[in-house]
Amino acid sequence: MLKSFISLALSLFMISCSQGIKGGNLEKNLEETDKIYGRCNNPYRTMTEVEKEICRGKVGAAGPDGKVKDPISLTGVFDKFNNPSKNIVYAGLSGNKYLWQGSLLVLESYPLQTVDSQGGFISTDWIINKDEPNRRCQIKINVVSEELISTGVKTKLLCQEKDNDQWYPDSDPLVEEEKKITLTILEKAQELSNIADRS
Amino acid sequence: MKKLTLAISALAAAFGATAAKAEVSVSGSGSAAYIAPAGSGDAQISVGQFVSFGLSTTTASGMTISGGMGLSNTPTLNNSQAVSGGKTLTFATGGATIVVGDVEASDTPGSVGGLVGDEVDDLGGLNTNVGSGFADDDGLGVSFTTALGSSTLKFVYVANDDKDDVGGINVAGSNALMSAGLTVPMGAYSVSVGVADSDTGESSSGASVSAAIGGGTLTVGYSQQTLKTAEKSTAASYALNTASSSAAVVTTAATNGDLDVDGDTTVLGATYAMSLDADTSLAVGFQNAKDADNDSTSQFDATISRALGGGASVFLELRNLSGDASQDGSAIAVGTRVSF
Repeated sequence: MLKSFISLALSLFMISCSQGIKGGNLEKNLEETDKIYGRCNNPYRTMTEVEKEICRGKVGAAGPDGKVKDPISLTGVFDKFNNPSKNIVYAGLSGNKYLWQGSLLVLESYPLQTVDSQGGFISTDWIINKDEPNRRCQIKINVVSEELISTGVKTKLLCQEKDNDQWYPDSDPLVEEEKKITLTILEKAQELSNIADRS
Repeated sequence: MKKLTLAISALAAAFGATAAKAEVSVSGSGSAAYIAPAGSGDAQISVGQFVSFGLSTTTASGMTISGGMGLSNTPTLNNSQAVSGGKTLTFATGGATIVVGDVEASDTPGSVGGLVGDEVDDLGGLNTNVGSGFADDDGLGVSFTTALGSSTLKFVYVANDDKDDVGGINVAGSNALMSAGLTVPMGAYSVSVGVADSDTGESSSGASVSAAIGGGTLTVGYSQQTLKTAEKSTAASYALNTASSSAAVVTTAATNGDLDVDGDTTVLGATYAMSLDADTSLAVGFQNAKDADNDSTSQFDATISRALGGGASVFLELRNLSGDASQDGSAIAVGTRVSF
């Protein structure tokens, strides 16, 4: 019986590696079942008695919106001591922090012209490919939501063509390229969110 | 333009596997409460604190492996500091979780209505005569939880209920047990079903339905448990010691278990939880239980909690028990909890 159970569990575990069977997100589903059982008594969550007691304290302190305070990360504290230059402080960040971090990571290969955390706006400098010296593009990203949602980030690509030493806007629509950048930011933001939830 | 846009599109390929990351975290909570128990027991004050150390690492493929240990001073027993935990290891991906070690089967599926915390549950002086739940529902085993689309499925298998983290598998003298639970959203409702079965001959099944109504969540559930008196008679029951003002000690002896015959226990219950404002939560629960001895009780729970900010909250919890009980009546606890 145990061997059969372990085999079945491992098989299903491998199938549902990054997403559940049939594409489910377990943490999102658990949050829905929290509304039925309460987070601390949810039979689908595994908690020790100590963790349940701490959970009750957190849930009470969080109030009805259910947003609980993150635990203190000891490794984060020591990391800040050892690597102060790695501190990233988003003073007055207006949008979702994972979308913001995801946007910065996606654009880290390009020189940035504007980074406005309060307005949730990032734009690169003009990007020129040496094989196409008469074309240049600029990526503009706006984080518009405080929640991690698919419509929480807007991407705009501006491209120009050079003609007689003058730069003119390129009229070609770049909808697909803008979509790809947006999807990449969303994927990265989700990864960062999952890492933060698990830690 | 094409080469430049191709280069930009290639950003997606650059973000493949997540770098491995190890993490140590600490969280804690504290509580202080005043309890007015049922019956003639003295009012009590209880204080408790808990600290949990979480250990986790994320592999290059994105799987998180975690464990942890805890320190506690439980609010239900005097001077009861303890070290706990370290008995499970959890492997988690975005879609599934496997826990190895000391796992607990869901032996009362569909049983809803109980809301109060340990201050009222353990120190409130109430004692029902209705037997419910398996005598032993945890032990050394494996649990598996996965998302099935928007549904959630959990299997638990306990191979040895006499051990927690080190022990033989399916050894003579110990019992194995399993449970399975599934929650499926169906439009405006969520339906949960579950079963459990033990080598002792005990088994259970149940279901509950939940819906958002009137700004809150209503859950109604039914649980049927087939229990063995031989198992129950070895389980410890609650004992209340009271000291009168003349220093004489009156002891209510612990019963030897709540079940005298084998048979079914049925539990019908409902809860309603809502928020009164941005900081205040209210929940009420009702539960009617009956066992094979024909003992039956009705239990009403109410809890209200208000967040004060800064990790603190105040709470009031009430339980009223009536029916076949060695101690019925009402117990109230009021206090504060702090999250660190």
